[in-house]
Amino acid sequence: MFRNNYDNDSVTFSPQGRIFQVEYAAEAVKQGSVVVGIASKTHVVLVAIKRNAEELSSYQKKLFPIDEHVAIAIAGLTSDARVLSNFMKQQCLGHRLTFGRSMPVRTLVEIIGSKAQINTQHYGKRPYGVGLLVAGVDDHGPHLFEFQPSGMTEEMVAFAIGARSQMARTYLEKNIDKFADCDREELIRHGLRALKESLVQDRELTIDNTSVGVSGVVKAEDGSSKVEPFQVYDQQDVTAWIESVADDKEGGAGTGETEAEGMEVDS
Amino acid sequence: MTSIGTGYDLANSIFSPDGRNFQVEYAVKAVENGGTSIGIRCKDGVVLAVEKLVTSKLLKPNANKRIATVDRHLGVVYSGMIPDGRHFIERARDEARAWRDTFKTPIATADLASRMGGYMQAYTLYQSVRPFGITAIVGGFDSAAETPVDGEVGNGPACGAGGKVAGKTHGGPFLYMIEPSGLYWGYYGAATGKGRQAAKAELEKLDLGGPGGPALTMEEAVKEAARILYVAHDDDKEFELEMTWISGADGPTKGAHHEVPKALREEAERLAKQAQEEKMEE
Amino acid sequence: MDHRPQAWGRPRDDVYGAYDASYLHTDGPKTATQSPIVTGTSVIAIKFKDGVVIAADNLASYGSLARFTDVKRLRTFLSTSVVGFGGDVSDMQFLDRHLNELAIDEAYEHDIVSTGAEADQPTGSAAGQLNAANLHKYLAKLMYRRRSDFDPLWNQVLVAGFDAQAKPFLASVDLRGTTFTSPSLATGFGAMLAQPIMRRFAATEEDAARLTRDEAVNVVKECMKVLFYRDARSLDRYSIAVVTKEGVELSEDEQLEKQSWAFAERIRGYGTQVV
Repeated sequence: MFRNNYDNDSVTFSPQGRIFQVEYAAEAVKQGSVVVGIASKTHVVLVAIKRNAEELSSYQKKLFPIDEHVAIAIAGLTSDARVLSNFMKQQCLGHRLTFGRSMPVRTLVEIIGSKAQINTQHYGKRPYGVGLLVAGVDDHGPHLFEFQPSGMTEEMVAFAIGARSQMARTYLEKNIDKFADCDREELIRHGLRALKESLVQDRELTIDNTSVGVSGVVKAEDGSSKVEPFQVYDQQDVTAWIESVADDKEGGAGTGETEAEGMEVDS
Repeated sequence: MTSIGTGYDLANSIFSPDGRNFQVEYAVKAVENGGTSIGIRCKDGVVLAVEKLVTSKLLKPNANKRIATVDRHLGVVYSGMIPDGRHFIERARDEARAWRDTFKTPIATADLASRMGGYMQAYTLYQSVRPFGITAIVGGFDSAAETPVDGEVGNGPACGAGGKVAGKTHGGPFLYMIEPSGLYWGYYGAATGKGRQAAKAELEKLDLGGPGGPALTMEEAVKEAARILYVAHDDDKEFELEMTWISGADGPTKGAHHEVPKALREEAERLAKQAQEEKMEE
Repeated sequence: MDHRPQAWGRPRDDVYGAYDASYLHTDGPKTATQSPIVTGTSVIAIKFKDGVVIAADNLASYGSLARFTDVKRLRTFLSTSVVGFGGDVSDMQFLDRHLNELAIDEAYEHDIVSTGAEADQPTGSAAGQLNAANLHKYLAKLMYRRRSDFDPLWNQVLVAGFDAQAKPFLASVDLRGTTFTSPSLATGFGAMLAQPIMRRFAATEEDAARLTRDEAVNVVKECMKVLFYRDARSLDRYSIAVVTKEGVELSEDEQLEKQSWAFAERIRGYGTQVV
């Protein structure tokens, strides 16, 4: 590899004004398996591909609930993600304790953004080697944010990070206009289809390697709205969804069936 | 003299033999890659505007704000590395709050610029940190009114508070631009980021720095700001325009920093696009 | 002449004898506020079907001296809530400044003018902003924290506004961090004198939900009058605020109307009368 004088630490600018250490940290995100997030007017979903180190090992968790109304999907160094996840949990809990409400998602995301930025400006620190998709619901409705090791945070309609995530993003861009009005189940299926785009040839979605997470705003009969707490689904709970996108039938038959099963695992 | 290969550019706070800090110059390069930001100091307030390049189609439109409120009467916009900008904002908010705690009065724009200039400069002094990869434009409206001492009991004496001279005007709109070196100047029209050259050329054509002070009103400045950012914009990329303004207590924002109302922004953008097209036809 | 700084502004030892500087000593037990100094009396509030009415008089007493007669003890928060302060006035001012900072924090995230002396814009409740219930929770934590540090803020405050379900909200927190909620609330003397009157009109939440705005305002004004009759630390000038979904209507210089002191003739047992 070409030797670069400006890439030894995160406190040195290159002559072009770049910080290579931060850019390298962004590469670590691309090493992680892919995660996808999509937000509609009523729901936000996270879906992820889990990897196992070897045949007999367990699969690495990709979705982490933070609070009742927020969860993250991670790509990159899991241990860094756990540090951020613990921090986010504390922030949410603290906010709940002092104000008696759930923390606004943007506020939460900006706090970890600032935390990450510090690591890019001081010698002896290193940037976080993880990217996050933060999904949550607050008074403004469902949100999806992307977090990068640089400390950059942006609200997205839909996004994918991790290995080969470009394919998933292409799918999302192609369908971006549909998401806003999708219902819960349609949104999950869009997420899984985007995920499939990023799979290596002859790999498939299975109940072992797929995680699905959903949160949303549910309209009650009296017109008031309630938050559907973030729920992560694994194993047999995702069977129906995987099957529903198996031969990529665009919202084809079996919708009702899937929905019914989806609701069942809910209770 | 070139910087690369001399070894003087490998760490912050190092002077080269001709007295330059290359790391600060490289930080300026980071600013020059960022979307254009401008600020206009008008007769009756300050207008801030930024060109937000749309880096992905998946970004939620108009959700990611770049101009921040630092105190009620203060706004900041910046070009360059956005996480650095957010850190700068946080520090500015802390400064504004600390000022209120100590002096029981809002911080003046000039004082905030001074504090933040000092903060930026401190990041050029040590090898253990790097300079900020941003240039920030600070706009504010210092209240011209007799502001009550925060939480004072009763109405106090009817005559003027300490330091104010009868017949002399106090407060008003102010604009400062702070560079990665910590250097800052006051401006009538400030521009930074990728399109700063074109933007500066346009700003200089406006009636801002005359002997009687700026003749431009805020509403005119909003339209000019939109036009200037369209002129300074590199055509093939999509962008969002974000604009905020701060008037005096008797103006549209009542002394506070606010986003320019949607209707006015859209009108300004329509005029800007129209001006662009007319120029193309020529 | 003693020119040491600690002697500045002090009585001369050669004239008045040795100065008792014991209170300047930093050793010994740490002491904090032991009692309020300049105080405001009752705050009263009652819910009605579309919101809350809250009032407090404009007096700050120094013991039994009516020291300041134009002190505003109601403050709006984000144009959506009102906080009424009873108790120590300097602690009220501290809380006022603190709430100002909290309101500025809110303005970072939301493009809405937060109220205060500097900017005033009648905006309704905005999604994502701290509502009265959130504000009350916060104040409760703050007050409890201070009492646990043995340095209480010597106030009892009422918070009026709306909760997350957009229902009228009214709650109190005192210097011990005790919280309380009810369709009508009163602090200080008001708890004895005004509360029974307000309960006649809104004993339950259901009663309060039937009260009209005018009825609620009238009850509060009547209570303010009773308080002025019977509370020697009260004043006939007062502030009253009506909190509705449309915002806060605050008038800070109201005068008690139609007073009738005829009842005073019949009072026996104090003053110059001999039974």
